[in-house]
Amino acid sequence: MPKHIVRLLLLIATFGVVAIGAKFYFTDKSFGVYGHYRADAVAEIAAAAPIYRGAAYCQACHRERFTQWSAGIHKVVTCETCHGAAAKHPSAQLAAPPAPVDPRMHSRIAAERLDHVKLMIPADTVKLCTLCHEKMPGRPATQKQIEVSRHAAGQQCIVCHNPHSPKLAAAGVPQAAKPVDAAAGRMKAAACANCHGAEGVSPNPVWPSLAGQQRGYLVSALQAYKAGARRDPLMTEQAKGLSEADMIELAAFYASLSCQSAGSSAAAPVVSAGKAKAATCAACHGAEGASGNPAWPSLAGLQEAYLVNALKAYQTGARQNPMMAGLVKGLSDADIEQLAAYYAGLKCK
Amino acid sequence: MKWKISEHQPGRRRFMRLLGRAIVYAGAALVSVGLMGRRGLAAAIPALSTTGYDWTKHRWGFGVDATRCIGCLRCVEACKTENGVARDAHHFRTWVERYVYLKGEKKPRVDSQQDPGNITASGSEKEYRFDNRYQDAKIEKAFFVPKLCNQCEHPPCVQVCPVGATFRTPDGVVLIDHNYCIGCQYCVQACPYGVRLFNHEHGVTDKCTWCYHRITRGLKPACVEVCPTNARIFGDQNDPESPISKFIRENRTRVLKPEMGTSPNVFYVGLDKEVM
Repeated sequence: MPKHIVRLLLLIATFGVVAIGAKFYFTDKSFGVYGHYRADAVAEIAAAAPIYRGAAYCQACHRERFTQWSAGIHKVVTCETCHGAAAKHPSAQLAAPPAPVDPRMHSRIAAERLDHVKLMIPADTVKLCTLCHEKMPGRPATQKQIEVSRHAAGQQCIVCHNPHSPKLAAAGVPQAAKPVDAAAGRMKAAACANCHGAEGVSPNPVWPSLAGQQRGYLVSALQAYKAGARRDPLMTEQAKGLSEADMIELAAFYASLSCQSAGSSAAAPVVSAGKAKAATCAACHGAEGASGNPAWPSLAGLQEAYLVNALKAYQTGARQNPMMAGLVKGLSDADIEQLAAYYAGLKCK
Repeated sequence: MKWKISEHQPGRRRFMRLLGRAIVYAGAALVSVGLMGRRGLAAAIPALSTTGYDWTKHRWGFGVDATRCIGCLRCVEACKTENGVARDAHHFRTWVERYVYLKGEKKPRVDSQQDPGNITASGSEKEYRFDNRYQDAKIEKAFFVPKLCNQCEHPPCVQVCPVGATFRTPDGVVLIDHNYCIGCQYCVQACPYGVRLFNHEHGVTDKCTWCYHRITRGLKPACVEVCPTNARIFGDQNDPESPISKFIRENRTRVLKPEMGTSPNVFYVGLDKEVM
């Protein structure tokens, strides 16, 4: 064979050996195990820790909220839909899971994800709730929708709705078909006057004044007594004999009366402590204890002892309301006395 | 006949011929044993074997009921968080389109969360909401359509990858190996549905994986988890009682662009023909 041909063949052979060697050296060991790709990539992708944890994860600590939520119409909306991903909550667990960052791309990207995770208590519920509930062409008719500009005058949604169980109990409060005769209510209120006062101003510290109270609340209170959801030896009997129309007339009568504040004999520091704590209550019961919504009661000027009893009844479960149950849970007896003193001392309108 | 003749051939030739055959058969046997060995390996991903996940036993499927979608975009939000997708108006693994037919117009007006009007409504590119631009318009018909990777049986994106960085797993998900991806973006162009995106930060292609890290743990994809109206349905097509099997059985579903021959695994209900 001519010399130049031999050289050429040797060169080609050397190139071949180098190329094959390089392929073996540079190709990942797991490449081609399952197909034309790096088999280890699958496990690397699957190794990323889930960031959305699911409602069961939240349930472990927030049992009460969970029970409330799972019984309501919002049970199709999981916790993390509104509150965001739970991976970094509670913060104590933060130290535990940070994934080991190795230089490979998958784990780098997986670790970076956590930077954006934030659990939140929604500050602006109008903005949040209208994501789903703003009336908008394209949304199916079965979806509950509101015209934002015409609904509740721009108030925060949680003033009336419990976000965890948003259907208003008081939304079922029947409204009279024709204008209600408050005078007819006065006739029927004769039986109530012994305890609640002829003009709706109670003479007794334990019984509430009714004058000027919200209509919707009065109706739902009477309904609750009648149905047994709220119990009281005196009221249960009284409410049993009332029809729905009676309740509406009674409520209209008491709502039309002018109220009189019961006042408080508590010391000034107690009252001011109560005022500070009442900030939480103001969203529903009004800044000065005057509720802006017919469904929720005004508290200004109510009897101090009655308010104490009511809050304690929510704590023991004798009075039931999903919103109140959650709110009173953390209150001590001292807190309750301060709150009652503050609201009893307020002037009512 | 030839065989018979060969019996009369001299012993050496006959021996050589038999030897030749033996080598061919033995080689074939060795190769097939080797292939079987590989298939056996495929039963379990080494790192996933601890969780008991067997990828040969699942065939994942996804359903979208467009008649239930309310366009709240919580799925987009959840996807970005779960998968660390860039928080801007240009990178989405999943998105929602709004189709509005105005009275007297033949073609729908289409927008999605990255439309400037919708960004104004949400307040920033990091949050997502549809504005209410059609509230006073005369509307013939309107609906929302969630979109995501179709995880095709015959994925064109996998076909064009020059480095073997993207592939389809036996449980039916198309994945990207970010370590092997060279960022050439051929796959972005090859996808008929436009679901692939480029991660500009890391110089690699990205796409919806149906949250592979979640489904291999028995969880639902993040978008399905947070959907408040069950417009997104997910499950194992091998299990006749899974949500997706029921969804396909109980509805008349369709896939996007069937004429592409890609055999998508996202099944839609409630689409108009304009939806591609």
